[in-house]
Amino acid sequence: MELLRKMLLYSVLSLVAVIMAGPFLWLLSTSLKSTGEIFAWPPSLFPAELKLANYPAAWNAVPFGTYFINSIIVTLTTVLLTVGFAALAAFPLARLNFPGRSIAVGMVLATLIIPQEVIVIPLYTTVLHLGLADTLAGVILPFSVSAFGVFLLRQAYLAIPRELEEAAAIDGASTIRIWWSILLPLVKPAAAALAILSFIGTWGDFLWPLIVLRSQEHYTLQVGLSTMIQSFAANYRLVAAGAVIATVPVIIVFLAMQKTFVRGILMGSGK
Amino acid sequence: MTSARKRAQRRTAYLFLFLPAALLGAFAFYPMVGVFILSLRHYNPLTGGDFVGAANYARLFADPNFWWSLLNSVIYLAVTPILIILSLGVAMILRERLKGRDFFRTLYFVPVVTPIVIIGITWRWIFHEDLGLLNYILVESGIVTHKVHWLTSYPLNLLSTMVVTIWRGIGYYMIIFLAGLTMIPTELEEAAILDGASWLKRTIHVTVPLLKPTIITVFILSSIAAVKVFTEIYVILPGAPSSNKTLVAYMYQTAFEQFDMGYASAIGVLLFLFTLVFSYFNMRLLERGGASWSY
Repeated sequence: MELLRKMLLYSVLSLVAVIMAGPFLWLLSTSLKSTGEIFAWPPSLFPAELKLANYPAAWNAVPFGTYFINSIIVTLTTVLLTVGFAALAAFPLARLNFPGRSIAVGMVLATLIIPQEVIVIPLYTTVLHLGLADTLAGVILPFSVSAFGVFLLRQAYLAIPRELEEAAAIDGASTIRIWWSILLPLVKPAAAALAILSFIGTWGDFLWPLIVLRSQEHYTLQVGLSTMIQSFAANYRLVAAGAVIATVPVIIVFLAMQKTFVRGILMGSGK
Repeated sequence: MTSARKRAQRRTAYLFLFLPAALLGAFAFYPMVGVFILSLRHYNPLTGGDFVGAANYARLFADPNFWWSLLNSVIYLAVTPILIILSLGVAMILRERLKGRDFFRTLYFVPVVTPIVIIGITWRWIFHEDLGLLNYILVESGIVTHKVHWLTSYPLNLLSTMVVTIWRGIGYYMIIFLAGLTMIPTELEEAAILDGASWLKRTIHVTVPLLKPTIITVFILSSIAAVKVFTEIYVILPGAPSSNKTLVAYMYQTAFEQFDMGYASAIGVLLFLFTLVFSYFNMRLLERGGASWSY
């Protein structure tokens, strides 16, 4: 009975595994096929011969290297600013007494309920007036302060016992010093989780870069790939190869930091 | 606290908050107000525009494409109950002490971290009418006699993108359910086992009621995500007529392909009202240590 039950559970798990992995394997297979094989019916599950040449071909068909560098610049800068600003802004909101604190906390919460999608049009006109349209700065700056990040770090600061900083204050340490040498090290796990969430989110971001970026040399990978679908519709093996290349960095970061990432998601959902 | 110390605290607070507050002001609060103001104007970023009062809203009510996109977004909400059932089902299995469960958890989670554009590229090719894997499997196995128009006939094309959203979301909500499952007391379930209740009965009558807070969290998160859906539609259905699109996709098309930004802002305001219902509950949850990140 127990054995039967286990077999049933493993069958379900395997079926779901096939459904989850299948599309990726199909993409990988497509990226290694020749043009003739792409149009073959019935489609072959495995390429007759591995056309590794599709990868350099995709890399050279569009300015892929440029897209890649742009994505790296946008992602790393956004992660750095998001974590930095959150660590800064969340500290006074959690630990200091100043007039207007509860209003400020309320405003951070208020920005959380407005989806990015609702404000993209006035945001675009703002970026346009600041002369940041079609620049990487225009992609990065508007989302460099994350209300979610401030919220997450504030929770982390709030969880630290008061006694720690009171002892330091009696010893005459300044507020900034207490923040830097006592509190900041203690919120590192939350900051790391925010960094991973921000990395994976920004790497895959599409709507905002699509709106801001107009010229090809400024495209991020996602925007570049989306235009590839149109211009290489008849040559899907190149689109597939490009998609595989663009997936590798997130998969590596995810597998390396899986625990931190999952912790971040759960902190965000209150668990 | 001494008054000197109070002053120092205040100074530090403003110092730390100054830059983040300025950025949030310019790029969050100002556009929040801006979307309402723009919705009252006829606005093209190149030629500018005039104040037109409620004319954009009047136009909305007479625009069949708007009503279609609203209907499509409402239809899209059907992914929520399906996601709850599937991800809870997967979590129920993966909470058991099975060999290899970490492997399955990781595998199911991979679509969550993969950029949506890439997922769209992957599925577009699977749904391809003449060369796609899906039609091949269905025709070969005799389930259908003719190739199905997954991406070119309405409402099937909308349902196809919903399948992709569900496929991508399972791993994400599974993680939230797994965490929720570790927090419920085990005594009740153990008592049900002793009473000889079947797995199904136990799940429906004991586990699910205990999980109610987590189910609400997932319901809200996935509903907000469904209302905001854009990338799947843009990548998988690029050539589809406006009447096949969702609210955000229609708003994007109006604002950034037709540069009719005043009118598009009116769509944005309606979108805001639509999400407000879910967001309100989200914020209430957040205050009690609840939910808020969605991909």
